Order: sequence, then structure tokens, then C-alpha cells
Amino acid sequence: MPSARIDLPQGTLDLLILRTLALGAQHGWAIAERVQQVSNNVLCIQQGSLYPALHRLERRGWIKAHWGTSENNRRAKYYELTKSGDKQLAVGKGAWETLTLAVAQVLEAI
Amino acid sequence: MFSDLRVRFRSLFRSTTVTQEIDEELQFHLGQQMEKYLRAGLTPDQAKRRIRLEFGGATQIKEDCQEARGISFVEHIEQDVRYAMRMFRRTPGFTVVVVITLALGIGANTAVFSLINAVLLKMLPVKNPEQLVQFSKMQPLYGEIDGFSYPELERFQHETRTFSGLLAFADLGDVNVEANGRGEIANGQVVSGSYFSTLGVSAILGRTISPADDQGSTVAVISYKYWRERLAGDPAVVGKKIVINNYPFSIIGVTPPEFFGLQPGQAIDVSVPLKMIAQLRPEYAMIGTPYDVLTWPTRSAFLIMGRLRPGVTATIAAARIEPLFRDAMNEEARGLAGTPLDSQPERENRRQARLQVSAGGRGLAALRERFSKPLWILMAAVGLLLLIACANVATLLLARAQFRQHEMAARLVLGARRLRLMQQLITEGILLALAGGVLGIVLAFWASGSLMALMRHMGTPIVLSVQPDLRVLGFTLAISVLTAILFAWIPAHRLVRTDMGLAPNVHGAGKSAGRSHTTKTLITLQVAASLVLMVGAGLLVRSLQNLKSFYPGFRTDNVLLFDVNARLLGYTVPQTNALYRRLTDQIDALPGIRRTSFSMNSPFSGGFGEASPTIEGYQPASGSPPLIVDLNTLGPHYFETLETPILLGRDFTGDDSANAPKVAIINQRLAHEIFAGTSPIGRRLSIPTFAGDKSWYSIVGVVADAKSEDLREAVKPTIYVPTEQTVVPAGVTFAVRTAKDAAAEAPAVLHAVAQVDGRLSLSGMKTLNDQMDESLLQERLVASLAGLFGILAVLLASVGLYGVMAYTVSRKTNEIGIRMALGSRRIQIAGLVLREALLMVVAGLLLGIPAALATGRLMRSQLYGLGPYDPMTVLFAVGLMTVVAVLACYLPATRAMRVDPMAALRYE
Repeated sequence: MPSARIDLPQGTLDLLILRTLALGAQHGWAIAERVQQVSNNVLCIQQGSLYPALHRLERRGWIKAHWGTSENNRRAKYYELTKSGDKQLAVGKGAWETLTLAVAQVLEAI
Repeated sequence: MFSDLRVRFRSLFRSTTVTQEIDEELQFHLGQQMEKYLRAGLTPDQAKRRIRLEFGGATQIKEDCQEARGISFVEHIEQDVRYAMRMFRRTPGFTVVVVITLALGIGANTAVFSLINAVLLKMLPVKNPEQLVQFSKMQPLYGEIDGFSYPELERFQHETRTFSGLLAFADLGDVNVEANGRGEIANGQVVSGSYFSTLGVSAILGRTISPADDQGSTVAVISYKYWRERLAGDPAVVGKKIVINNYPFSIIGVTPPEFFGLQPGQAIDVSVPLKMIAQLRPEYAMIGTPYDVLTWPTRSAFLIMGRLRPGVTATIAAARIEPLFRDAMNEEARGLAGTPLDSQPERENRRQARLQVSAGGRGLAALRERFSKPLWILMAAVGLLLLIACANVATLLLARAQFRQHEMAARLVLGARRLRLMQQLITEGILLALAGGVLGIVLAFWASGSLMALMRHMGTPIVLSVQPDLRVLGFTLAISVLTAILFAWIPAHRLVRTDMGLAPNVHGAGKSAGRSHTTKTLITLQVAASLVLMVGAGLLVRSLQNLKSFYPGFRTDNVLLFDVNARLLGYTVPQTNALYRRLTDQIDALPGIRRTSFSMNSPFSGGFGEASPTIEGYQPASGSPPLIVDLNTLGPHYFETLETPILLGRDFTGDDSANAPKVAIINQRLAHEIFAGTSPIGRRLSIPTFAGDKSWYSIVGVVADAKSEDLREAVKPTIYVPTEQTVVPAGVTFAVRTAKDAAAEAPAVLHAVAQVDGRLSLSGMKTLNDQMDESLLQERLVASLAGLFGILAVLLASVGLYGVMAYTVSRKTNEIGIRMALGSRRIQIAGLVLREALLMVVAGLLLGIPAALATGRLMRSQLYGLGPYDPMTVLFAVGLMTVVAVLACYLPATRAMRVDPMAALRYE
């Protein structure tokens, strides 16, 4: 397993989930796997933060859930992006890019 | 926003489902992870260990998820309820006392309210009852009369643009119904063909009486109850023959179970077409006399109700029907000419009569009028009782609040919001009140049933459905919640204001000044309310005593009464006379019987005949209304039997038979009004309004005034005539004066009657005392209930006082110790405690006395033989309250006296 695991800054997890769900409906485990794969095992989302986050996003109306059948034929809860979630993703992404750019500029300037 | 609500909503009401879903979701995740590790080549054991290391406790995650979904008000309530239940389990004694106190208060209110609901509020169980109106006429001579004549009814039926239906009916009272060869007394009525269709009541079996039956078909509709109870619910009942008052009818249908007729409190068993009144009440069918109900315009025998067309109000209806009514009245006035009734005032009475149309959806008003005042008095009494119960529970909660201050302070320190704590305390209150409410409904259901069993109207039991309906349940729920808010508010408010500084074990001795002030106010209010209740109850009880000890003009003990109706068996008039004589002789011959007689109306049986007599040589002052007298027909030796003093002349005897010279006896009041100063013996009178009898009766006696119907009313001028010398009434009531206990002679009397004619159905056998008691039933009911509520109130108030004083003494143990150490004597200490208690009592009394006097004024119409400011009653109530209060303080005071100064000082 990866050695270089990083704690996610506040709010980043939500953004990662929204981005992952932008590709299509997924269940919780697949979301975590996907993030881990894409980040080359750097970002590893713990179950303990993933699910509360999913429920929080659901409550905010950015994602919605339904029960479906997984690839191995088990009942699984699938999440998908809502319209307002899509908007939120754009907003969040913009904010993130601004933030990282600014942070990078500061770091390099010194 | 919406999804937020939805998610929260789901988590509120489907809490278990949500938890399960989260559980399932996490299980799925673990399963996936497991598979992943297995695919990567780990053994199952290794995979499991790995997973356990990676993921923390599942419970924590679940709780975090729940938290993320948000919790709210309802979940708080669930929490509060669970917490409250725990509190209740920890203090079962307290909980039981509170719940019982509340159950008494709420139960009493619910019981009285369900009676009010049944008597005053419930609509008739018919289609759109709010469209129904009842007709009545206002006459200058007789006041409001709700009866109309048959000719009037026929006129009104033309007014079809106002009414979609118009119905008429008349009560037949007791009828003798033979079914399956067995005769029994039932309650009957005659109805117009439009009766059932106007009401929108259809038969559950067969059909109802229709306009086609108006010409007098011999058909009968029976009630559901009659069908089930008397005919065993026979499914083939339609077409069956029954015999009503010796006249054959065939049953055509059964009415629905909820239908009882139009008079709440009464249950009609059989209904037959209107014209059959002539067959069932032969005395009504004297064609061409004022007793012929079907043709005579002045015979107001029928009650009329109409169903208004949509958009028509009662006022519009009255205006539209007024011309028809006027024509009818003018015709009536003209029709008087040549009849015995004809007189200028009677004609004017018709011409000036006014029609009234009033709401009829709740049925006829008789029962409402009779019981509305007493029921509202009782409602006020139980309302006060509930307030006292509230104050009582509030004091208990305040006392307990002392012990909970630390808990509250601790929770405040731990970050609970005050509003949240308040919600918790109110929830506790509402739970207590709801428990009290549920118990109260059970209590009320039982109580209102037995209350109704005690109610009588015109001597017959009242049949009402007091089953709690939605309105009653709503009322109970509403007063429960209101009660909770009332009694929980003050303690909750006070507790929540608890200083956080009290959290670490600091005793709140110095903090209780405000609390004890509130408590004292509550006790004072309880004492005041109890006093009001007691004075009210005392006034009613004393009125009842006055009524009971009143001498009615005859001796009430050792008289047995029973009704005989020979006409129901088809006896002719001479046969009836012979029968009554034989019965009298047969009973007189029994040992232990002093005298037997009979009368058309027995005392206090409700309903006396009225007549307008003509007295020879007496001319009423011009312009004054005609003389109206009570009229009764009697058997021989009636006054001897009842022991009414004969002031002049003689009693009727067996010689005053049909062919003998006609005689009459008058009462003192009539003698005084007409013959003031001169002897009436030998003067003559006639009573043409009584069945058109124009013959002259010679006055042979004057008897003392005797009350006939209502102890409160003055005795009316009265004329008595021998039964045999006038129209023989359908039924008479026998009165048997016994040497000893009247009830004990009943079997022998029954046996004697059966020997004369085995087919005679006797009814209403009871002692005269019982009959008198029955006439006072309403007064007794209200007085005893009010008394009961008064006693409950005093008990509650004194329990409250005891609790507070006991608490005060235990709190002041230290102070008492110091006082004793400083030389106070024990008796002074007791005086100190008593003074504190009596201060509250006196304040309560000072507050209560004016309120009680005002209450007395409001109740004035219910009082008899005493004024609204009866000093005896007030003194008694004040005395009783004081004595009970002193008793309640006795224990705390003696405990204060027994305080050991040394121990008390060391205690702190």
C-alpha cells in the first residue's frame, strides 16, 4: 500500500467525490477505489470519512442515492450527481484551482 | 433546501430504516474490500485482520453518518420521551400520584363533556342535519308551543320552494306491542309519509313509511334496537304481523342502528303512519270534538320539521311561510265560533300568534332545555377541579424541581441550550398529562355511562350514546395538552433559569425564595378555587334538602304506585270503569293495605291536564286571560289515600258513579281566587275544554293545595272530578296506601291484579317516595356531583398544602434548631408553621369568598329556599376548608415541634 498518504484539506473530499461522480453513478467503495487509482495511491479515502461525507452531500442535495445491483450482483447504494451538484463541482473546482495557483505562486516566489 | 428537509424527514420517521440502510451500505463496502484483498492473494484471515486495522469502529461511522444527515425536533422529542420515561421509572410514586391527580381532573371533565356532547352538541344521525328546522308558534296566552294541528300541517306542505321536505310526527308515548304472542310496552310515534324521506333515513331492511302510506296503511317501521332485542334480529321480519294497542299492523322495515327518532334521550321503538293516531289513541278520535286530532284546527298535536332548500335560511323560511300560518290562524279563530273554547282572548290568542322557525339539526329542544343549565354548572365545576389539579401537580413538580436543579445545572454546563431543556420539561409534562388523559378517558367512559343511567326525562330513562366520539377525544386531548402546559410551564421556566453555578454540589438553600413564593401563590389559588366549588356545591345541596323536606300537600311514604292501561286491551268505557272498581276492591281486601285509589295523573309523574273552566256566577275581569286550571280525574277516596287534608266538604266516594249527579272538588288556591271569603260548596262549574263536556259539576269539597309537578312552582288552581263522570282516561295510576313498607306489598298487589285480569300489563310500579325522588333526580344528580367535586377539590388542596408545609419544615430544620437553641418554646415553633400555612389559607379564602358569592349569583335559578349569598353555606365552606387545612398542617407542625436543636444544628 502507498506510503505517501496525505491528509486531505477541509472541503477537498467533497470535491473529489463530486468529480468522481461526474463520470457516472457509483457506489461508495468504487468512489474510494477510483480516487485511489487516479491519484496513484496517494489519496486514500477512509470509510470513516467517505460515508459521512456522502450522507452530508446527499442532505445538501448535490448528490442523490438509489439502491441498485453491483457488478457482482449484490445490492449496493449508488450515488449520482444532481444538477446543483454539477454546479457545485464547477464552483468547487474553480475555487480549488484559484487556491492551488495562489499557493503555488506564493511557494515559488519565496 | 428541499433535499435537506427530505433527508431529515426520512431520518426522523424512518429512523430504523435509515440505520439499516447505512449498515447495509457499510457491509457492502467491507465485502468489496474483502474481495479485493482476496484477489490480491491474501488468505481470508489476513484479509479480515487487514480490514479491521484499516477501518475503525463501525458504530462510530454510523453515528457520523446519522449526524451528517441531521437530527431535529422530532428526534429530540424521541430522546426526551425516552429520558422522561427513565425519570418516571426512577420516581414511580411521584409519577403515579401525578397521573392519578390528572386522571381525576381530566376524567371528570371528559365525563361531563361527553354528556354535554350527547345532550347539547351532537347532531341528529340523519342526512345533512344542519338543513333541518323546527316550527313553533308564539301565542300571547300560552307562550311558545311547538305543536301544530293537522289542518295547519296540510297548509304548510304547499310551501315547496322553501322546503325540500316537510315532516310531521307525534309521540304516542307507551304503546302495548304484541309480537310473537307476547305483549310488551314500547315507545311509539306516528309519522307523516314524508318523515323518513325528509330526514334522509332509509331502512336497513325492507322500506320506510312513504307518502303512499299517508291515507292510513296499517304498516309499522321498527327500530334496530327493537328488532334485535324483542324480535331476536329475525331476518324475515318484514311482512310479520304485530299488534299495537289491539290493532294489527305489518312490519315493513327496520331503521338503522343509530336512528333514535328526533328527540335526543328518547328511543322510538315503532313508527306508524300519522292517521293511525285515531286507532292507537281512541280517546283522540272523537270526531267533531276538540279531541279529534285529524280534523280539529285547534288541536296542536303534531310537531313539524322541515328541510330547507340550499340557500334558504330559517328567517327566509319563516317569512315565506308566515302568510300560510296567518291564514291557518285566522281560520282557527273563526273555527272557534260555537265551540266550548270560544272566547275573545282565545280568538285574539290565535290572531296574534307568530310563527317561529328555528334550527332543528340537533333534534327537539326539550332535553337540551332541561339539562343545559345543570350540565354547564357541572362543566364549570369540573373545570375548576382541573385547575386545582393543575396547581397541585405544579406544586409537586416545583418540589421535585428542587432535586433536579443540580441535574439541570450540570446539563447547562455541558452545553445544553435552555430552550432544549425547556422542551424536555414540557415533554415530560405532556407525557404525564397524556397518561392522565388516557386513564381519564377510561374513567370518563365508565362515569358518563353511570351518570346517564341516573338521568331521567319525564320519568323515563334517557337513552343517549355517550360513546366517546372524535369531538370528545379531541376535547380530552386538547385539555390534556393545555393542562400540561399549565402545570409544567412554571416549574420548567423556573428550572431552566437555574444558575449554572449550582452544578457542582452547591446546595440551593438560598435560591428557593422565588420558588416558595410561586408555591404559595399556587396553594392560595387552590384554596380559593376549592372554596368556590364547595360553596357552589353547598348551595345546591342545601337547595335539595329544602326541596326534599318541603311538605308537598300529601304524605309521601308508604304509598305504592303502578300504571294500568285497560284501553290497550280493548276495554270499553263501562268495562274500564268496572275494571278499576274491581281492582280497587281486590287490593283493598289485602291485609296490610289501608286504602286504594287511582288518578289520571299521579303526583310528580310529569304532565298534568290543563283546562279552562266556566264557573257559575263568576265572571273574570274583562281583558284578563281566561282562568286556566290543572285538572285531574280521580277514583273514590283519593284524598284519603294520599292523606291530603280535606278542608271543606267531602272526598269522592264509590257513589259518585257515571249516573250519579256530577261532582267536583277544588283546591284551596282556586277556592281562594274565585270564592274568596264565601263557601264554594254547592257552587257549580263546567269544564268544556276538557273533551267538550258541557255538563255542570257541583263542588262538594275543598282540599289543601298539593304540588303536582314541580316543587319549585306554586300550586296552580286545580279541579278534581271523578273518573267515571268524565272522559275515562286511557290509563290510570293506582295509589295504594300501605300500613308498613310500601315496596314489600308489591308482590301481593301484583298477584291481586293478576287475579282480576291476567292480561293486564302493569308498568311503572314504584313507591311514591321513589317517584318524588325521581322528580328531584336532576337536582340530586347535580348536587351530589358538585359535592363530590367539592370534596375532591378540598382533598387536593389540602394534599398540596401538606406537601408544601412538610417540605418547608424539612428545609427549615436548621432555622428551627437555632430558634429552639435561642429559647423558643416548642408550641411557638408549631405556631410558626401553622401561621405560615394559615396565611396561605386565609389569602385563599379572602380571594375565594367574593368569587364564591359571584358564583352563587350565577346559580340563582338553581337554588331553592335560600338566597345566593347564603351565610350558612359560606361559613360552613370556610370552616371546613380551615379545619382541613389545619389537619393538613398537623403532621408538619408536630414534626417541627419534635426537632432536636442539637441534631438540627449538627445537620448542617
